[in-house]
Amino acid sequence: MVVLLAALAGAQVVAAQLGGAPDQPIGFTHLTHATTLQIDCTFCHRNVTKGSTASVPAVQQCMFCHAVVTGQTPLTQQEIAKVRDAFQNQLPIDWVRVHRVPDHVRFIHEAHYTGLRARNPGISTQNLCATCHGDVASTIKVGQVRQLRMGDCVACHRANNAPTDCTTCHK
Amino acid sequence: MELTRRDFLKISGSSAAGAVLFAGCTPPEHEWKLESPVLLPEDTLTSFENWYASVCRQCEAGCGIITRVVEGRAKKIEGNPLHPLNRGKLCARGEAGLQALYHPDRLRTPLRRTGPRGMGQYQIISWDEALNELVSRLKDQQAQGSAGAVALVTGPLRGLEAHLVTRFARAYGATSLAYAPLEETALQAALKQLFGQDTYPVFDIARANYILSFGANFLEPWISQVHYNRAYGEFRQGQRTQRGYLVQVEPRLSTTAANADEWVPVTPGTEGVLALSIAYVLIDRRLASPTVAQAMTGGAGVQGLGAFRPEEASRITGVPAERIEAIAKALAERRPALVLGGLGPAGHTNGLFNLTAIYALNFLLESVGRPGGVLLNPAPPTPELAARAPASPFLEWQRFAERLRTKQPRPVNILMVHDANPLYGLPPAVQFGEGLKNVPVIISFSSFMDETTAMADLILPDSTYLESWGESIPDPGPGFQAVGFQQPVVKPYFSTRSFTDVLLTVAGELGGQAKEELPWNTYKDALRETAQRLFRLNRGSIRKPDFESFWNTLLQEGGWRDEQATAPRVDLRLPVLARQSQPPQFSGTDKDYPFYLHVFASAGLSDGRGAHLPWLQMTPDPTTTIMWQSWVEMNPRTAAALGLRENDVVVVESPQGRLETMLYLYPAIPPGVVAMPTGQGHTYLGRYAEKRGANPLSILAPMATAEGGALAWGATRVRISKTGRQYPLPKLEGSVPAVQPEDYTIIPVTDLRTR
Repeated sequence: MVVLLAALAGAQVVAAQLGGAPDQPIGFTHLTHATTLQIDCTFCHRNVTKGSTASVPAVQQCMFCHAVVTGQTPLTQQEIAKVRDAFQNQLPIDWVRVHRVPDHVRFIHEAHYTGLRARNPGISTQNLCATCHGDVASTIKVGQVRQLRMGDCVACHRANNAPTDCTTCHK
Repeated sequence: MELTRRDFLKISGSSAAGAVLFAGCTPPEHEWKLESPVLLPEDTLTSFENWYASVCRQCEAGCGIITRVVEGRAKKIEGNPLHPLNRGKLCARGEAGLQALYHPDRLRTPLRRTGPRGMGQYQIISWDEALNELVSRLKDQQAQGSAGAVALVTGPLRGLEAHLVTRFARAYGATSLAYAPLEETALQAALKQLFGQDTYPVFDIARANYILSFGANFLEPWISQVHYNRAYGEFRQGQRTQRGYLVQVEPRLSTTAANADEWVPVTPGTEGVLALSIAYVLIDRRLASPTVAQAMTGGAGVQGLGAFRPEEASRITGVPAERIEAIAKALAERRPALVLGGLGPAGHTNGLFNLTAIYALNFLLESVGRPGGVLLNPAPPTPELAARAPASPFLEWQRFAERLRTKQPRPVNILMVHDANPLYGLPPAVQFGEGLKNVPVIISFSSFMDETTAMADLILPDSTYLESWGESIPDPGPGFQAVGFQQPVVKPYFSTRSFTDVLLTVAGELGGQAKEELPWNTYKDALRETAQRLFRLNRGSIRKPDFESFWNTLLQEGGWRDEQATAPRVDLRLPVLARQSQPPQFSGTDKDYPFYLHVFASAGLSDGRGAHLPWLQMTPDPTTTIMWQSWVEMNPRTAAALGLRENDVVVVESPQGRLETMLYLYPAIPPGVVAMPTGQGHTYLGRYAEKRGANPLSILAPMATAEGGALAWGATRVRISKTGRQYPLPKLEGSVPAVQPEDYTIIPVTDLRTR
């Protein structure tokens, strides 16, 4: 038994990585897009108002602007070139996932988006999304800012008078 | 050492073995990848949609529409919820407006004829060239002092457009006429006589308790289908104590009659007698107010109407006397009662007599000026919006055709046609086509190559209503002042220009009085001036501190309305009921031509102007379910006597002409009547309309109502003969065999004529 314990010590199950902001294949900044350019979150994450996932935009959508916008500094030019190359070569971009809830959870972005809109009339989309995702609009690299564990979910559901039946979230 | 479950989980949770053990609980590596696909999924919009408010011009009513526009392309038309006429609803014809925009056979550029007339040989020219030619020809006429030899033919116009056209015609000295195939001039004359208004009054169907309709097909294309359909919904199912009761009087069971509680088949052209007989019963049984009755009989009392005793009327109309009494009693009991008359009674030589007798019943029932009856509409808010160029009655057209043919009293050297197709709609007996041959120059402003445009020498194609500016006072009005504003929701798809803009350009080039009368550069300028006047009224639905924000809101909401601005209360003079009946005249004797030809407006194609739109062609007729074709309806018993079967190709022959079409057996038409829908039988108007079906207007006799001179399209008698050929009618009905359930036998309906 002792041997077993010693041999296995120190290992950790990989869980949701609170605070971690992983490196991404392209140096995309929400700061530029969401704050400087004031592009609405739902313009790129277009499924957020419609379905379960918020969805990352297709490369084609990046090309709406980047077919023309090539960047002003060497760094941005280099990063934007990656997007343009990907589109030219018909290659998808593999981003690193930041948020992931366990498999037994059914999370629907649309319900949260609609619910928060109804409870906070006139709220900006950025502030609405910030409820769970933090101030993404002013970050350069996105990381997870909320636990997004069950206690966290239930506390928020209670506070907002949302249903707390097991089957609301659990599959 | 005892290992509890809790300890086991603790240990394994923090050990390497645990990592192996719980590997299944961790998302696999690839799930931490989030892939941006290269292309957008097909079901995702690649851009944002915009909805622009405008006005529908598919018929003359002028419903408000909102159009969904994505990347500069109009995608869908729906009703504008803010518009008082249709309140968010729209009909099939309105929705099909999109197909006019994208029609493959639209005229795309100005054209000049190169071959012989009518052969369709045209040369593409530029707008400058086309306008130069138009202006120089008009200037030539002016220089020769024969400006009066220029004629301008349009569709029925209202508001600013009518204002512009009449001003142009006056300034230049041209003759101006308006054309509509199923003209409502008899109805408008009757309404003017009784209610003193040029516009339609409000028929308050929604709040009526009982409606007696004489061929007023208000659930079909009649005045404003959408407006009346919506009201009909409230009439039947609104929040009220009693469900509204509808009685439809007409020779053929139309869609409206099929929705009615009672259908009263009547001999064509005798509707006025029936109305007066009902008046007789109302007065005789003291069901109407004695003072009103006294006034409306000119003091003579019921004796004045002696000719219309139910027994007498029954003989003429074919409606049993007991039924006339029952209808009169129900009318008096279930107030507010509304009495309407439509195309059927209007389309006879005694049309005005019929309609005045019918609408006068509203006075006798004291329904005028009351909710649920007939209410008056106020005048439009500004004088230029009150301008009207209504359809010229048939008689005027007959005279015009004669003028073309005989060049007397003076010839027509230039004929300009916009939004009118008299060559299709006028009965050939008028010989309008012959007359056109004498016109040296025909200029068309049509969006499509219709029958009249095909004769044109110069074509300056109009933009569709989705590409141009405009405005429309809804007619029938909603009972208060309202103006709908039409804006281009998309840029012109082809090299077309709106007729009104061309007219203003021409006026500018002509200079002189034309320029003075029409000082605007574009129609939008004229429209903004009208909007300025509305802005200065400072009342109604839009009140803004400055004009620009007023204008923006005006376009955003699709119009302006002031629900407080209702018609001023006027005490209308009570009409005196006719003492003598006017029997209808018919073309053809009943011996040679045994059937009355009842022409009705097609639900989809209306008077034929929708025939080029496939969506409307494929809209099944509500009663027969036939599409893409025309047909003639006949009672099965009559058909059996003639040895005719359904799908037989038959010849329908009148003294004025003949046509071939398919026979449809319709039990709900009296034996002496055959019926045909309008709309088909085009020789031009694009690939979906051409060489399809037959046009009943082409065999009509050139007969007009005794007063007013409107076309009496019900005054033609026909005979039917066999060709021996068959052609299956394209219809939905009967495509699935009906199965008689064993437990329920179909209950036979008693013969309606004996009730």
